[in-house]
Amino acid sequence: MNKSKADFFPLRPQPGQRGRMRLSAKLRSIQLIITLSFTTVAVLVAVIVGFMLYNKFAKTAEENANLNMQQIIEQVNYNLELYVKGMGNIFDTAEKQITTSASIDSPLLNERMDTLMSSREDLVSVAVFTPQGQYVVGTPGQQMRLNTQLQSQSWFTSAQKSPDISYSAPHIQNLFKGKYTWVVSISKMIQYKQDGELKSGILLIDFNFRTIDQLSRQVKLGKRGYAYILDPLGNIVYHPQQQLIYAGLKYENVEPVLEYAYRSYLDESTGEKRFITVRTVEETGWKIVGVAYYDEIVTTKRDLNQFLIWFLAVVILCVIAVSVFLSWLIAGPIRKLERTVKLVGEGDLNTPINVSGAYEVEQLSRRFNLMLQRIRQLMDQIIYEQETKRKGELEVLQSQINPHFLYNTLNSVVRLAERGKNDEVITMIQSLSKFFRISLSKGNNIITVQEELDHIRHYLVIQSFRFKNKFRFEIKAQDEVLQLQTIKLILQPIVENALYHGIEMSPDEGLVLITAELQQDLIVIKVSDNGIGMSKEILNTLLSGGVKSGKTGGGSGVGVRNVNERISLYYGREFGLTFESELEEGTIVTIVFPALSSSPVEKGGEES
Amino acid sequence: MKITRILLTVLMCALVWLSVTSCFFNSSPVYINTKNTRNIHMIVKMNKGDYWNTVKLGAEAAAKEFNVKLTFKAPDSESMIDEQVAMVEDSISQHADAIILAASSYMGLAQVVDQAAYSKIPVVSVDAEVGSAKVRAYVGSNGYEAGQKSAERLITLLNGTGEIGILNFTSASLNEQQVSGSIDYGARDADEREKGFLNYAARYPNIDVVQISYTSSNTTEAEALTRQMLENHPGLRGIATLNETASQGAGKVIQSQGLDNIIKMVAFDSSPSMLELLQNGTVQATVIQNPFSNGYLAVKYAVEAVQGMEVPERVDTGTKLIDLDNMLYPENQKLLFPFVR
Repeated sequence: MNKSKADFFPLRPQPGQRGRMRLSAKLRSIQLIITLSFTTVAVLVAVIVGFMLYNKFAKTAEENANLNMQQIIEQVNYNLELYVKGMGNIFDTAEKQITTSASIDSPLLNERMDTLMSSREDLVSVAVFTPQGQYVVGTPGQQMRLNTQLQSQSWFTSAQKSPDISYSAPHIQNLFKGKYTWVVSISKMIQYKQDGELKSGILLIDFNFRTIDQLSRQVKLGKRGYAYILDPLGNIVYHPQQQLIYAGLKYENVEPVLEYAYRSYLDESTGEKRFITVRTVEETGWKIVGVAYYDEIVTTKRDLNQFLIWFLAVVILCVIAVSVFLSWLIAGPIRKLERTVKLVGEGDLNTPINVSGAYEVEQLSRRFNLMLQRIRQLMDQIIYEQETKRKGELEVLQSQINPHFLYNTLNSVVRLAERGKNDEVITMIQSLSKFFRISLSKGNNIITVQEELDHIRHYLVIQSFRFKNKFRFEIKAQDEVLQLQTIKLILQPIVENALYHGIEMSPDEGLVLITAELQQDLIVIKVSDNGIGMSKEILNTLLSGGVKSGKTGGGSGVGVRNVNERISLYYGREFGLTFESELEEGTIVTIVFPALSSSPVEKGGEES
Repeated sequence: MKITRILLTVLMCALVWLSVTSCFFNSSPVYINTKNTRNIHMIVKMNKGDYWNTVKLGAEAAAKEFNVKLTFKAPDSESMIDEQVAMVEDSISQHADAIILAASSYMGLAQVVDQAAYSKIPVVSVDAEVGSAKVRAYVGSNGYEAGQKSAERLITLLNGTGEIGILNFTSASLNEQQVSGSIDYGARDADEREKGFLNYAARYPNIDVVQISYTSSNTTEAEALTRQMLENHPGLRGIATLNETASQGAGKVIQSQGLDNIIKMVAFDSSPSMLELLQNGTVQATVIQNPFSNGYLAVKYAVEAVQGMEVPERVDTGTKLIDLDNMLYPENQKLLFPFVR
């Protein structure tokens, strides 16, 4: 099928080429381009916007969380400072009572100490020691243990070293019988009176962790976050998992904490991101350290993250859907149009193109439809014209050897010969031979005007014998015209008509006048006669083929209409025959066609 | 053509999805998953004594941290092996997620541990090992080493000569119904400590271990045994006790009889009363373990085992010899006195 089509239409793009182009062509399709570019741009924008929003929000969330944590720690720090101050106050009170007391072992002081002890739940013990480590006085009812090694304990040594109140690291209270408890000791060298003598001694007050624990326990930094307290040396004073740390099961990275009094930073030493906030309690130099887990702080961040991902996913899906739809909307009609045009291209000119869609595409299809109609019209016309041309040429071919004419003429020659008119026979035969030579003219369709005029002259000579000198004829031609071109056998049917229909019926002597002249690059040949003429009706039907003039008599068989059509097909619609006729007066036939020089004579061969 | 287009679209979506998500998600470190509450049963040797309290404290700390519902069970005495077996069986029938066991008898609980393993319940043994290959992890101290430390110190205190008595706990010889078998029915930790002690003492020809008594972890019984030992061996110069109750019993007797300066004693574990005796000079040294760590780590590894994580087969939490000189070192304070609120 394809092969035969290819044979018929070698210049048309063949289907074989399409396979090669398929992939790249697909990549260049409008739909894909629109979809891809639209999607890319939209996704890019969405991602960038999402990312920026995310960053912005995340940063804000992080900052807020950080700030929040700092505030919490600040609050704890404040409470702790208050508590430490409270401890200091208690210490001062105790000191004042001891120094102002007349004697260290007075019952009044003992009572006061008892009151002090019972006033606070977090007080473990109060005691005064001599600088040598001897027990002087203390909370009533407490008994010293043996081997306390108190001289080497930090509260004892630091009280001897510095005149200020000193706070110890957490340690075990091993001085008095009873429970071993973890305490923080406050100690200071003070003056007291014993037996009227002013002595110096070390006042020790032990606090347990009840209040510190309460203060720190309030700290809620997310689900896992916590706060712990360090002393200036890096000992852990309080930690929610103190025992775990003491047992060595957990570690706290305290080195970066110790370097700063006031700081917030991100710690990754445990492999987990943690926010660390450090504040320092003024009095003791204790550092309260808040630890919050980054991934908990930034739950908002994660929520946001999740939301953004879903949002982006939905947006992207929507964008893809929309862009696919949009591109389909645009490319669909175009593709339909393309398919239809392909059908047309393959030869089916009757394919209707009814593509609906975008305005432009509709217009395009409408215009294309119009064009197609026009093409169809032109095609029909061409087909019609070709057919007519061929028919006309066939008729001309037939007329070249018209047996009827030949037979009549030969009859006339026989008659002349019988009468012994030898000269006339010779003239007749000569004319006949020349007539046929020009008729055939080597098969050329195009001859010179000279030849055409010669041809009609011979015809008229022959006919004048037949009509027994019933008419005269005259041929006038300008010299310029003679070498110009004409299609052959255009005069003979006209002259024949003039003779058979005009002059033969006329009682008067006929006259056939043929003139050929050049008028503004046009050859104008006029054939006039003084025959009976034609009525308007006949005149009108003459060219439309209503009257087949050749049939009526011994005509050549090539009609006037044939001449007209041949001229207009060959030279153009505007050229051809015009008739002027008046009854009883005669007829003038004018032939007009462009003047072409005879040099490209060979063109005639093409046409036949 | 249509299918290819759909495929392409899907592929594109997937790519976009991947590129988007990769920007936001970071791989998170592996934690113990604390979302689900785990049901962990902890069965120890007995329900009294500071040592087991501290173990419990550690376990509770871990339970709180890892969202564990801890069921703590123990018989009244270390010698009540059958009760302990029954408790393990109970835990199995209650479908505990994991069982932590301090076995009072090395072989006595072997079978029930196998049974637990058969029910796909991981078993972590703490303090005392149990004779089963199905135990996922052992958390505790090295008893042999502890025994050697005790012996080393006691022999040093005695300057390498003298009679020594040992007060140990739950052993096969006490349980009459199991005497016949050669199977080791004693608690593994007790045996190990004793073995460590004796092996070390054997290096000193002048050291004579004259008596080894076994108490079923009952202070009164321990006191009686100590008195009996002192009566039997008037020349006794040193006593080594190998667990908490034995130490408390012996310490009390020595203190009440005023033998502080005559008899040297190396105790075991760090109950407050023990530390008091140490500070008073009644007891010269004590070998301590890490009961808090034991409890904590046992629960931690049990949770890990439940989650199918890799757990170490043996975790040695260490032993330490504490005497009057080093008992107030900050690091030792932390070990000796649990920070209880």
